[in-house]
Amino acid sequence: MLKRISLAALASATILAGGFSPAFAQERGGVINVATIGELNTLDPMIATGDLLGMVTQHFFETLLTFDAEWNVMPLLAEALPEVSEDGKVHSIKLRQGVTFHDGTDMTSEDVVASLERWLDVASRGKAVAEKLEKLEAVDDYTVRITLKEPLAALNALLAFNNSAAVILPSEKIADTLEEYVGTGPYMVKERRVDQYLQLVRFDDYAAREGEPDGFGGARKQYLDEIRFVPVPDANTRVEGAIAGQYDYADLLPVEAYDRLEGQEKTTPLVMNSFGWPMFIMNNAEGMMTNPGLRKAIQAAFNSEDMLAAAFGKPEFYAVDGAMYPQGYPWRNEEGVDAYNQGDVEKAKALAEEAGYDGSPVRILTSRQYEFHYKMAQVAAEYFKLAGFQVELGVFDWATLVQRRAEPALWDIFITHSPFLPDPALIAPLPASYPGWWASEEKEKLLNALNTEVDMDKRLAIWSDFQKLIYEEAPFYKVGDFSALAAQAPRLEGFEPSPWPYFWNAYVQE
Amino acid sequence: MVRFVLQRFLGMLSVMFVVVTIVFVIVRVAPGDPAAVMLGPDATPADIEALRTRLGIDRPLVMQYVFFLGQLLRGDLGQSIFLDMPVASALLDRAEPTFFLTLFSILIAAGIALPVGIMAAYRRGTFFDQSVTTLTMLAASIPSFWLGLILIQVFAVRLGWFPVAGYGGPDASLMTRLSHLVLPAVALGVVSSALITRFTRASMLDVLNDDYVRTARSKGMSEFRVVLRHAFKNALIPVLTVIGLTAALLISGAVVTETVFSLPGVGNLVVSAVLRRDYPVIQGALLVIAAIYVLINFGIDMLYLMIDPRVRY
Repeated sequence: MLKRISLAALASATILAGGFSPAFAQERGGVINVATIGELNTLDPMIATGDLLGMVTQHFFETLLTFDAEWNVMPLLAEALPEVSEDGKVHSIKLRQGVTFHDGTDMTSEDVVASLERWLDVASRGKAVAEKLEKLEAVDDYTVRITLKEPLAALNALLAFNNSAAVILPSEKIADTLEEYVGTGPYMVKERRVDQYLQLVRFDDYAAREGEPDGFGGARKQYLDEIRFVPVPDANTRVEGAIAGQYDYADLLPVEAYDRLEGQEKTTPLVMNSFGWPMFIMNNAEGMMTNPGLRKAIQAAFNSEDMLAAAFGKPEFYAVDGAMYPQGYPWRNEEGVDAYNQGDVEKAKALAEEAGYDGSPVRILTSRQYEFHYKMAQVAAEYFKLAGFQVELGVFDWATLVQRRAEPALWDIFITHSPFLPDPALIAPLPASYPGWWASEEKEKLLNALNTEVDMDKRLAIWSDFQKLIYEEAPFYKVGDFSALAAQAPRLEGFEPSPWPYFWNAYVQE
Repeated sequence: MVRFVLQRFLGMLSVMFVVVTIVFVIVRVAPGDPAAVMLGPDATPADIEALRTRLGIDRPLVMQYVFFLGQLLRGDLGQSIFLDMPVASALLDRAEPTFFLTLFSILIAAGIALPVGIMAAYRRGTFFDQSVTTLTMLAASIPSFWLGLILIQVFAVRLGWFPVAGYGGPDASLMTRLSHLVLPAVALGVVSSALITRFTRASMLDVLNDDYVRTARSKGMSEFRVVLRHAFKNALIPVLTVIGLTAALLISGAVVTETVFSLPGVGNLVVSAVLRRDYPVIQGALLVIAAIYVLINFGIDMLYLMIDPRVRY
């Protein structure tokens, strides 16, 4: 299975690199249907986060920077990576000339400054930058300067990320609520019928970068005439639609569907390893989990292997791994992982007694909208009970859970998940403002160091200490790594699997 | 007659006012927050609060209610929080698939149920009658979404006769769009036919032994004429009621079937709106659904008048 994916990736890479040119390959034309897990709540990637939002909107909105295949930051709308002053506070960004918006206007520094101002104002990641911002200005028509009060090492990654994204919009279209979705991307919005489709068509005046594609960066080829994102909330329907050939790509399928997808004529299963990581966030602000001893007791009770098996079935679809980054990321380290996957209920019981556990129920918030959250919660609850904890499992729809988790009085643990983000500074539960409210002195010191240190080797060392601290203070618990299953039609070629799939560079081979 | 229509109209207004008020209160008292849903899983409480202010949902409930009633009096159902369009346009967008799905489902259901129910009553106690009783019990017990999945497997995936899901792409003709409704309409029609069959059979049994049927037979009329012209016409009133209520139920949303087939119908709209806490859409959709219920019931009452001259209001 994995061999198949590797071969496919290798073949695609070879074709894209021009290693050989099969007849008819990479011809322009064709329409593809991409089945997504549901309808988007907004098409504005600045105001919201969410993988689906990033996946769809990156086709028509672009950022100054982006990530290459190795998750290094590289320029996109910027001419080159920002020039940073020696003290790390002044970032000068040269813009590419000749970039046109979908409405035909040229992109200049005026648009970039207006877009970044909106990002600093409304985006959760932008607000984090705004706290450290001294000045944002247009130096000339094609140069923008960001002056910070203190160095911010993650600035490039923040400017490159595709949700809560610093997308560049034409200044005259900028409003509190976007009424038109005009960007610079290789595809543009033609029509949206909610719950039916989002139709994107090739933007003929697209100014692609020169060179070859490289992850999200490099040249973005526009082989396809149209990309249609079709919301199909029922996972079984996505599977059957892929098998019937109705969808060229079906996103996030239940892993149990792998066997059914294998050997089909019109689709093939596609496994994306180390797609993301589920986590149990503890309430560090109010209630029993403010007691460090109880957090350590809960940590000792977690049996990741059983939780992952219950949630994802076959071992091919998960990895029992306590490191915060999987193999292949520069951020990977093994600090602190001894405290991972203990499943030791006797130790947990002893720690709970030592910490003065009074028999109050551990209130867990979870949602069946993410079935794997619910299954993991059920297994965890059983281990907690064996360790002598009373457990109260609150199962809510996601909207209710999000509202309840903002109230520290209402819960002790909630469950969420994240993809592996290119920079640890982007990890959601690290800032003290995120529900869970982890705010120890040591953590703030390390987070500040991680955000301000610009030397990569030093940042890696800081992150090692950070991971160790996560296991020492147990503000949240990483359950492991999970893989994602998708389905891809054999006729769709040139597609590179990604946590945020993109279809520029892809083409159809009839 | 005029007095009856007027009374019904006033009754309809009061029912809708009550529905609107209850829905307004319930959706806001229920936990969940559209701002939190829109901003996604990484949003901080401060981000959520800022968006609540922008959306105007942080204002006192009474103010929101007065504003909402004012909009309604101007014939405005409000603006969807998520869809970038007025609620009325969102509902109109969903009207086509829902209307045709309901129509096809009812035609299929009635097409199966009426002849089978009449025959079962006419041949009461025979093997045919017993088989119908068993099959209708089975059909009534089948969840329509399960039948939908089976139909997808056979007719869409294996045979490739119909699309699996959706309602066609941007360039789809009306015929293409309607072809997307065949499988869900069969799923809903078969399941709905069970109840209508049983009502038809029971109603026919009531009238087949009546004096006027015996009189018709004694006058030498053909059995076909006796059963259809005399018995069936009189048995039709309860059957019409159940067909009407089934239609109302389908218009208000065959939610699960619409989800399985990814149909952008009214049911789908309401469920998405509830999950997103899109208050204006929930309110507007339920108001329209309540109006449809009342109108269908009103229509059925009018049909009674036409079918049975003894009925007086």
